[in-house]
Amino acid sequence: MELFTPDFGLIFWMFVVFALLLFLLGKFAWPVIVKSLEERADFIDKGVEYAQNAKEQLDNAKSEAAKYIQEAQKQQAEILRDAAKMKTQLIEEAKDAASKEAKKVMDAAKLSIEQSRKEAELQFRNEVSNFALNIAEKVMRQNMKSESAQSELVNKLIDEVEANN
Amino acid sequence: MKKLLTILSILLVILIAPATVSANEGNEGGKINPKEIIFDHLGDHYGWEVPFMHSVRIPLPVIVKDKEGSWHIFSSSRLMHDAEYEGFAIAKDGQYAKKIVQISTQPDGTKTEYRPLDLSITKNVMALIISALVVMLCAFSVLRWYKKHNMKAPHKATAMLEVVVEFVYYGVIRPTLGAKAHRFAPYLLTVFFFILVMNLLGLIVIFPGGANLTGNIAVTMVLAVCTFIVTNLFGTKHYWKDIFWPDVPLWLKFPIPIMPVIEIFGMFTKPAALMVRLFANMMGGHMIVITLTLLIFIFAAFGVAVTGISTVLSVAFSLFMLLLDTLVSFIQAYVFTMLSTLFISLAQEEGHHEEKTEKLETK
Repeated sequence: MELFTPDFGLIFWMFVVFALLLFLLGKFAWPVIVKSLEERADFIDKGVEYAQNAKEQLDNAKSEAAKYIQEAQKQQAEILRDAAKMKTQLIEEAKDAASKEAKKVMDAAKLSIEQSRKEAELQFRNEVSNFALNIAEKVMRQNMKSESAQSELVNKLIDEVEANN
Repeated sequence: MKKLLTILSILLVILIAPATVSANEGNEGGKINPKEIIFDHLGDHYGWEVPFMHSVRIPLPVIVKDKEGSWHIFSSSRLMHDAEYEGFAIAKDGQYAKKIVQISTQPDGTKTEYRPLDLSITKNVMALIISALVVMLCAFSVLRWYKKHNMKAPHKATAMLEVVVEFVYYGVIRPTLGAKAHRFAPYLLTVFFFILVMNLLGLIVIFPGGANLTGNIAVTMVLAVCTFIVTNLFGTKHYWKDIFWPDVPLWLKFPIPIMPVIEIFGMFTKPAALMVRLFANMMGGHMIVITLTLLIFIFAAFGVAVTGISTVLSVAFSLFMLLLDTLVSFIQAYVFTMLSTLFISLAQEEGHHEEKTEKLETK
């Protein structure tokens, strides 16, 4: 059968054509095509990875921003609270200082009042004693006009001294 | 829908075209000889038939080396219609039927036929060259795209070609060969595309196609031999050790080397299976299509009604078979490539011990 007996001419040409084809394609075409395919596959893979990373980062950034905002709010609240606290403290301090000052003034006033009262007392006493002395002098002058009254008094005084001793 | 109808009608015309030719051919004696017609269509020719014109053939160059050792190159048109040229003619019957023979007349008047060394560009060789050119056109069109557009994905026809390349490379070569894919990819891709184009061109009935190339054992033999050479030429030490001293009980390899003999036998059966598979599949497909078409002419003897019915049935079945053959063309190219890859990868195996040490080293 002709079909099962390979023809030499055809084998020869098949070898030649196939070898030529293999050489040309193997040298110039396939390596470049395969390389391009792989490079593109790589490129796409990297792109996908990059996109995923970017998305992840974006998500992270969002949550981070939310966290920052929350923190800021917390800080704000704290600051406000501090301010309120400081205000009351200031007022308290001011009150304290005022009351202290008032007390000081009061004390000073009291002291001066006391002093003036003492001075007045002293003056009053002096005046009273002067007055009493004057009265006593006048009374004495009246009583001691007679000689007998004078000696009587001297005797009386000496008696008193003697009685004391 | 309109397009589909046009395509279908064109297909019908194409299907019927060779049938009319073959009808003329076999009808010489008034009777059809189906076997002759079938084998004539599956075989090789020195010219290329043109549809609807049986007597006209596209002439092809004949290259022969005669008995004295000198080369003769002339057009095959000189040998058409039983003509004799420079002592050469196409034998009608006998041992060298349909081949070019050198006819020498003996002194006693009898003619003897001598088969010269025949390197003619026959129909099959021409189809081979056309197929190779088509493959190159395909590959270089993809290449040109890359040169022009760098990383962009190709469009239209180039994209389709690239998809096929990707399918073969990422579907077969890369997973099987792994890191060594780069080394063998050119060979395997060439084989795949060459077989695919030859298969598909063989299904086209008119001029650039119609040659039963992959259904010819010479073509598949060369391809199988190439795979054999690639497999064994790049085989690792471990591969050769497995052949001559496999890991089997000693009595299986010494003193009578049973396993080595089986292994060496296996070395040759693998490519032989490749050769026969492709050859038988493609030839079978062609044969069935031709036979189905021939049925019309065989049934023609039974009257108009039978002819009508058989025509419709035959055309329907032929169409189905051709569609199936289109699928088979692809599958066979794929199978050939896949098995070649497998055989090559088996010969690329490194010893397990070596692998282990390598792993340890990397750790």
